[in-house]
Amino acid sequence: MDWKGYTLIYVVLFVFATIQAVVEFVGLVDSAYWLAFGIIMVLSVVKAVGVAAYYQHLISEPRSVTYMILGGTLGAIALTGAAAYSIV
Amino acid sequence: MPTTSSLQIGADDLAFPRLNALSYWLYLFSGILVGVSFFQGSTFAGGWTMYAPLNTPAYIPGEGLGATSVVLALIMFTAAVTMGSVNFLTTMYRMRAEGLRMRDIPIFSLSINLTVWMMLFAFAALLAALMILASDHVIGTTYFQFANDGSTLGTSAENPGASLLWAHLFWFFGHPEVYIVFFPALGAMAEIFQTFTGRRLVGRKWFIISMVLVAIQSFIVWMHHMFLTGINLPIKTIFMATTIGISLPFDLMVFSLIYTMAKGRVRFKTPFLFSLGALLLFILGGITGVFLGAIVLDYQFRGTYWVVAHFHYVMFGGATALIGGLYYWYPKMTGKMYDEFLGKVHFATFFVGFNLLYFPMFIAWETPRRVFEYPADLQIWHNLSTVGGFILGASMLVMFYNLFVSIWRGEDAGESPWKYASTAEWAVGSPPKLENFPGLPSYASGSLEFLDDEEVAERTGKPPGAGVAADGGTASDGGTARNIRAVTAPATPTAAAHETGGEGHASHASFWPFLVSLGGFIAFLGLSGVRTGSPVYVGMAAVGGLATVGSLVGMTRESFHAPEMAIAERWPFEGVEKMKLGMWTFLASDVVLFGGFIGSYAFVRVAYGWSDWHHDLIPAEHVTMPGLINTYLLLTSSFLVVLAMVAAKREWRGATTASLAGTFALGVGFLVNKGIEWNHLFHIHSEMFPNGWTLSTNIGSSTFYLTTGLHGAHVVVGLVICGYMTIRAWNGAYQGDDKPIEYFGLYWHFVDIVWLFLFPLFYIL
Amino acid sequence: MPSDTIAHAVGVPLHGGDVRAPADVFNSIFEVFLVLGTVVGIVVVAYTMYHAIKYRDSGSTDDPYADTVERPQLGEKPTGGTGGRKVFYSFGISAVIVVSLIAWTYTTLLYIENGPDESQAAIDAIEIEVEGFQFGWNFVYPNGHETNSLVVPQDRVIKLQVTSLDVFHNFGIPELRVKTDALPGQYTSAWFTASETGEYTAKCYELCGTGHSLMVTSVEVVPQSEYDEWYADTQSSGNGTSGNVTAAIDAGATTAVGGAPA
Ligand SMILES: [Cu+2]
Ligand SMILES: [Cu+2]
Repeated sequence: MDWKGYTLIYVVLFVFATIQAVVEFVGLVDSAYWLAFGIIMVLSVVKAVGVAAYYQHLISEPRSVTYMILGGTLGAIALTGAAAYSIV
Repeated sequence: MPTTSSLQIGADDLAFPRLNALSYWLYLFSGILVGVSFFQGSTFAGGWTMYAPLNTPAYIPGEGLGATSVVLALIMFTAAVTMGSVNFLTTMYRMRAEGLRMRDIPIFSLSINLTVWMMLFAFAALLAALMILASDHVIGTTYFQFANDGSTLGTSAENPGASLLWAHLFWFFGHPEVYIVFFPALGAMAEIFQTFTGRRLVGRKWFIISMVLVAIQSFIVWMHHMFLTGINLPIKTIFMATTIGISLPFDLMVFSLIYTMAKGRVRFKTPFLFSLGALLLFILGGITGVFLGAIVLDYQFRGTYWVVAHFHYVMFGGATALIGGLYYWYPKMTGKMYDEFLGKVHFATFFVGFNLLYFPMFIAWETPRRVFEYPADLQIWHNLSTVGGFILGASMLVMFYNLFVSIWRGEDAGESPWKYASTAEWAVGSPPKLENFPGLPSYASGSLEFLDDEEVAERTGKPPGAGVAADGGTASDGGTARNIRAVTAPATPTAAAHETGGEGHASHASFWPFLVSLGGFIAFLGLSGVRTGSPVYVGMAAVGGLATVGSLVGMTRESFHAPEMAIAERWPFEGVEKMKLGMWTFLASDVVLFGGFIGSYAFVRVAYGWSDWHHDLIPAEHVTMPGLINTYLLLTSSFLVVLAMVAAKREWRGATTASLAGTFALGVGFLVNKGIEWNHLFHIHSEMFPNGWTLSTNIGSSTFYLTTGLHGAHVVVGLVICGYMTIRAWNGAYQGDDKPIEYFGLYWHFVDIVWLFLFPLFYIL
Repeated sequence: MPSDTIAHAVGVPLHGGDVRAPADVFNSIFEVFLVLGTVVGIVVVAYTMYHAIKYRDSGSTDDPYADTVERPQLGEKPTGGTGGRKVFYSFGISAVIVVSLIAWTYTTLLYIENGPDESQAAIDAIEIEVEGFQFGWNFVYPNGHETNSLVVPQDRVIKLQVTSLDVFHNFGIPELRVKTDALPGQYTSAWFTASETGEYTAKCYELCGTGHSLMVTSVEVVPQSEYDEWYADTQSSGNGTSGNVTAAIDAGATTAVGGAPA
């Protein structure tokens, strides 16, 4: 990827981060917490995937590297999700 | 064991010899630190499960410094394990002999491979648990304390998830750990069975699939250790199902071993006796384990000798196979044969002792664990157990004598003393030479051959001894079965070894790994006592810390090259050069480390009441803005790193230097901004928090400071590397070679990604 | 928290004796497992030894199975041997046994988890709060009376709400097959009935410090009339109200109980 592509990604990341903050500033976190929660977390995931795919170049590595990272991520999610679920 | 395994796959050394040295020294010093802990009043006394809150200073008698040292020593140990795992996986995926697909590698190596995968992730979770615990000990966070006022009686439900949090983190590590211990034994058992039955493993493909399934499933069964903790019925049901699910592949493996004997030529030599014995013990362990799978029974077995007997049949049963492995590979390691008669005597006494020690525990199962009292009518069984224990211990003396004396008196073993042994380690001399192989090993023709330098040169198209700057991995041969890769560094390992007298191995002598570990040891010993304010401890922490950083820098500056194999099987990581693969593997474990921290935060917050959390525990002064500014800073710094790559590729020295310097400046800005924010929060005087909002104020402040603090520490490490690279770039490095910048970038972007989640979780939601 | 089940003194006669006791459930399942486990163990071990001995190397130079199997060669690329089908059959049998055994016990798990069913809901259960501490137990009765050893009537459903005042403990009365963890800041529940009067022992089943071995107390099961007498006596000396206890349980918070031994 050349510098133009990188710049485009950067702009998108910047805008998404701003949207996350805006969601709070307009009071959505207070009025509709779980909606705000959903929007904000989805934006974070999209940003993370963007950085991993284009800045860390996962997109041009063998897919197995992605699977390895996904493996770790799934483990962390299993721990977080199942542990939290066990006490609700 | 790793040596055997690298021989089996045809690697001539580990991928990162210096990292191996570092992990060894860290391991050694972690042991010394545990030793020292006994002289700091008292050591850790909370059992191996270290349940909270008995593991926190409030419940440790005296000053509890020894307990803190143990926790820190375990962190050191875990760091050593993680480095070892990264190193070993990289070796396995970058340095297999040509023609050996992953499914073709010998079963023992495969078991090691899966073990290391489990280690990579499980120990990262343990590292998270230990780091949090250490922070509770050293800097006063309150993760594992139910009452945050330091009182020993719970007076208010400040942190209702405290005790369970440890149980979750610990067992998420603890169950895979069971298989981490057991898998190498399983692999050794399969290997020994093949040799001494003269049969190839029956159902090998399914044996392998079973092992892979177990390795994966081992991460989703941990709550079977927690059935009585009050977790809800649906989750108990799920974990009951996954637990039964994980037992089934083992059934298959047992039958596979049994049928491997069919139509064999079974020879009852010592290694086989131990392996067969291990199989029988494992069958008993497995059957008594099914009892535990029935939750109604499990409830009553909890904390009793049934559990003790069961897991010894499984785990010590595994150790039995490893003893078999020791006898099996002893001739390879020493070049001498052990005494067969004494070996058989050892087995007979061992097996009798073992069963006499552990079987009576099933009968006396009502005995509670870890008490010195038990019902009088069970005494006879306990007596038998004691006798068995002594017999078992004595049997080991026979082995030590045998193996020790045989070094001098044993017959020469030759390359292979075993009929039907088939794996590569038996094709070289005993003990193996430093370079492992007489040439480059290859299975391309279907069986093992050694390529000499000329053949290698011909195949790779490089003259022997020609140096190539960076790792290859450029040829895109995607689908072909064999991968002939461009040569890295000095052309071929064998050629290089001849030229420099075994350069790859001589590097083990680097003294930086030792200094790094020594510094770490002093720093941790100091940390164990900083909370007392004693100048000695504080001084040690400071000096040790500086020494560690200093020697890390020294290690980086030392020029060092570990050559890659010229031709090797690299699926599924073709084209990912060694350093990059190592970095990604490390990041995968770091994902789990941060996952453990974020998971802990989510868990204690859910236990507290997700929505009440913000209102009850977080001050109004904790606002979004500093987090948002830091998000912008990190995103921009990530952008600059990729620009630095572009500049380096185009050989724009000024732009490269400027981009790296910009990254450095933004990282510093991030830390300064955080410093201002923390300082403000520490010193607020509101109605809710009259004494500021510090690490120990409540579980909300603890999670905030520690999680973002761990991230901040990652930023600091990144900045040290970035600063170093900026100077090198200024001096003209990286022009036309952006790889080092890319490796640094992988780390830096990862730190960025973590922040993308910390920002919303700790600043918005 | 099932605090709504604290419905004492409804006037229905006591039928704890009709309820299937957890001890009974455990013993019957354990028996089945023991018998089956022993049989399976003997069969599999014998089967293993049969193979080991039958196919032992007699020392003769010619291979009796040379025409049916291939022997491993040094340096060969590892592959599997023939005969995988048998592995599958055996595995299938073992899987069926294991899965059906566990599935069979699942309904009893539901029974133990949920307590005696609706038709027996009229049973007048006694709810007692159990607090573990280093190193002993504190029992809080519905009227607020506190003791360090347990007294319960025969043939009555006893429901326990168990917590800890300091570290992780585990409360168990082995003879009555009741056991549950005691965690600070959390309540776990368990229940039992005892059909025989007499002295039982409650123990701690989780390492909780230096005095862990000593963390035992007596459990006295007495006839109903005797219990009533004893309980009436405690009424006058009761130092709390049941209201407080249930409220605390509702809130899911540990109460700072006055007089709890430190
Ligand atoms: Cu487990
Ligand atoms: Cu205890």
